[in-house]
Amino acid sequence: MRKQRWILALTLVFALAAAACAAPVKGGLLRFAMIDEPPSLDQQLVTSDLGTMIAQHIFEGLYCFNAKYEPVPLLVKTEDIQDGGKTVVLTLREGVKFHNGKILDAGDVIASLTRWSKFGTRGPVLFSNIDKMEQIGQDQIKLTFKQPFAPWKNLLAFTNGGPVVYPKAVAEKADKGFIPPEEYIGTGPYKFAEHNPGRYISLKRFDEYVFRTEPEDGYAGKREALFDELRFIPVPDPGTRVNGVKAGDYDFAEQLPGDLYESLKADSSVRTTLSQGATQVFLFANSSAGVLKDNYKLRQALLAALNIEAGQAAAFGPRGLWILSGSLMPDTTPWYSEAGIKNYNVHDVALAKKLAQEAGYKGEKIRYMTTTSYQYNYDYSTVMAQNLRDAGFNIDLQVYDWATLVSKRADPEQWDLFLTAHGFIPEPALFTFISEAYPGWWKTEQKRSLTKEFSETIDPVKRKEIWEKIQTLVYEEIPVMKSGFHYVYYLYSPKIEGVGDSALIWPKFWGIGFGK
Amino acid sequence: MLAYIAKRTISMIPSLILTSLLVFSFIHMIPGDPAAVMLGDNSTPEQVEALRETLGLNRPLYVQYGIWVRGLFRGDMGQSIFFHQPVLKVIGDRAETSVFIALISIVMIILVGVPIGIVSAARCNTGMDQFLSGASMFFASVPTFWLGLNLMYLFAVHLKWLPTSGFPSILESGDWSNLRYLVLPCLTLVAPNSALIVRMTRSSMLDVARADYVKTAYAKGLCESAVTLKHIFRNSLISVVSVLGFTFVGLMASTAVTETVFSLPGVGRLIVESVLRRDYPIIQGIILIVALMYMIVNLVVDLIFAFLDPRIRI
Repeated sequence: MRKQRWILALTLVFALAAAACAAPVKGGLLRFAMIDEPPSLDQQLVTSDLGTMIAQHIFEGLYCFNAKYEPVPLLVKTEDIQDGGKTVVLTLREGVKFHNGKILDAGDVIASLTRWSKFGTRGPVLFSNIDKMEQIGQDQIKLTFKQPFAPWKNLLAFTNGGPVVYPKAVAEKADKGFIPPEEYIGTGPYKFAEHNPGRYISLKRFDEYVFRTEPEDGYAGKREALFDELRFIPVPDPGTRVNGVKAGDYDFAEQLPGDLYESLKADSSVRTTLSQGATQVFLFANSSAGVLKDNYKLRQALLAALNIEAGQAAAFGPRGLWILSGSLMPDTTPWYSEAGIKNYNVHDVALAKKLAQEAGYKGEKIRYMTTTSYQYNYDYSTVMAQNLRDAGFNIDLQVYDWATLVSKRADPEQWDLFLTAHGFIPEPALFTFISEAYPGWWKTEQKRSLTKEFSETIDPVKRKEIWEKIQTLVYEEIPVMKSGFHYVYYLYSPKIEGVGDSALIWPKFWGIGFGK
Repeated sequence: MLAYIAKRTISMIPSLILTSLLVFSFIHMIPGDPAAVMLGDNSTPEQVEALRETLGLNRPLYVQYGIWVRGLFRGDMGQSIFFHQPVLKVIGDRAETSVFIALISIVMIILVGVPIGIVSAARCNTGMDQFLSGASMFFASVPTFWLGLNLMYLFAVHLKWLPTSGFPSILESGDWSNLRYLVLPCLTLVAPNSALIVRMTRSSMLDVARADYVKTAYAKGLCESAVTLKHIFRNSLISVVSVLGFTFVGLMASTAVTETVFSLPGVGRLIVESVLRRDYPIIQGIILIVALMYMIVNLVVDLIFAFLDPRIRI
């Protein structure tokens, strides 16, 4: 008995010592090898993932997502929802400091939201439902909706192209232009230090950062910056990013080849972590002009021909990095559903030919645009195009660089299908194909009525039911043909502690640091 | 000689005007919009239009060209759309890397390529010549990205003698030890370019070796080395110098692959990235500067010709 106690005590001591050694400590420079440089860190305007990954350390919004992708307060202290969801009064936390020393107040929030509502990428989605925004005293904001609008909190929590808060003077001066680097002033745990083009973007720890008191939970809770400096370095070649981490020249790297995943996972000189932010690729159909306009049977024929599994294997590498799933939202979210997905990944050439015949298809040319700017788009497209040709479709695969594709897709007369990736979103209202302005221009009566009902319903259970109807409609009218889900992985130095097995949508550099 | 230089310099002006017009027209003919690229996939048409207005991209092309040319006369090449900084500053920052790479590489290319070319020509059709010619063909054919990654794996990852990538500024830090970052990139560039110089020196020397004055030199009883170096090598230098001049400019501006592999902030990578981003002012600026460099190098090469071959001066 006594011996057992000794063993237990010794085990406990060793466990505590190991934990203490593994605990990250304050200090050090983190060198992050990134694929390119972002065009701007102005989060209200830019939706580049690269920009968000960096800017989330500088700028904060009223809400953010926890580990379950639920929106929870960040700059907000309390919320008061009145009038059946038509009115919301938000009270700000006290004493929150901007990097220039100014204390955050409701005036800053009003100015930032006003700019975002006019020029922000996702601002109009929220503000087309808001009747009035008012400042009450120094620290309160009142939002009055035209009718109850369920996704408001999700939209306020999503940083990418989202409503981050700038000082009033900065937001008002910037107007529709990009905020210049010298005015990258936020309330986040790191402050902007320098952009040396072609070499790095540097952020320094903001020592006067005012923490939330809750424990860290996803992007929410206590955001404790441990590194002295974060340096984001453009390293365009994936082989160099891998070699750089192995050689100790970089501490963290992103966008790595899927084919190397298994060998890097087994390599003791480095560590890997998977992103939970499931991405997918969408093959958009043109609903405004061309051979696919209003011809849903023909779209179903195209869908029946696709071998999604083969496409994903070609584009993303080993199975650990992707899954097959017909659901539009991943199973890490409450929106996951298998409603209407029976026609996903059937890869039935005979069925495709039969449906094409019923649709009256006579071998007209189907123009399919893709890009080599993102290798996986091209790799996936070569498989999809071959599947479609095998089923008798006359596919004209047009390969462009990304800038040309973006320019051409704006003209409905120039294409029938185009492929693009869609990053993780926590709220289905943010899907690009839901917007009637996005190329593809899906705007049938049934879609309009369901999406209206979806945004006006507050009850989460009823919202899920409506979303399932929308997903079923997506598989009937086929504005997009989706892949499964793809998970990117990151490579990092074993010297870093606290990263864990998986990152959220974008890796964050608070709460982690170098080990002792 | 001064009159010759002045005449050549003045003749550059119409070439530069024509280049500026062609560059501007061609770039704006390519589809693609910098505002849409910068704002990302989720941007709305209204948002793109608002940014186009802010950047002045919604003005007629002739107005944009006029503004650009007016700026050129004041030494202002405009503002980079992507970096929000003056074009000359962005190019200037990148020029440091490119100048160092070009200078180190060209010296190494001369030191490696020319002597091997001379030996190869002097030992023409021997086992030594076949070995050197074979080796130079091998290095001329190896893709630079493959060679670069392998050198990186050996010297940086495995042996840990040198850094994998990047190049911290020497001008900003004053730290000349940063030159170690350029060792592997320069080796990657020296291999194929030296091979070219080896081939050029060899073939040029073999051509000259058939000339009558070489036979006369031998007939006079001069020794082998004196004939090879003084009569054959010097006269064969004209074509070698010409290639070296253009290799130097190529090393300044056309090394995008090597700069990408070693993550170097050089001019070559900047031009490729700017084309993908449709950063028109940067593309226009670089092409104009590179065109000017080619013209100047052409002039310098012509002057060296005149020095090497007195007949040209007549």
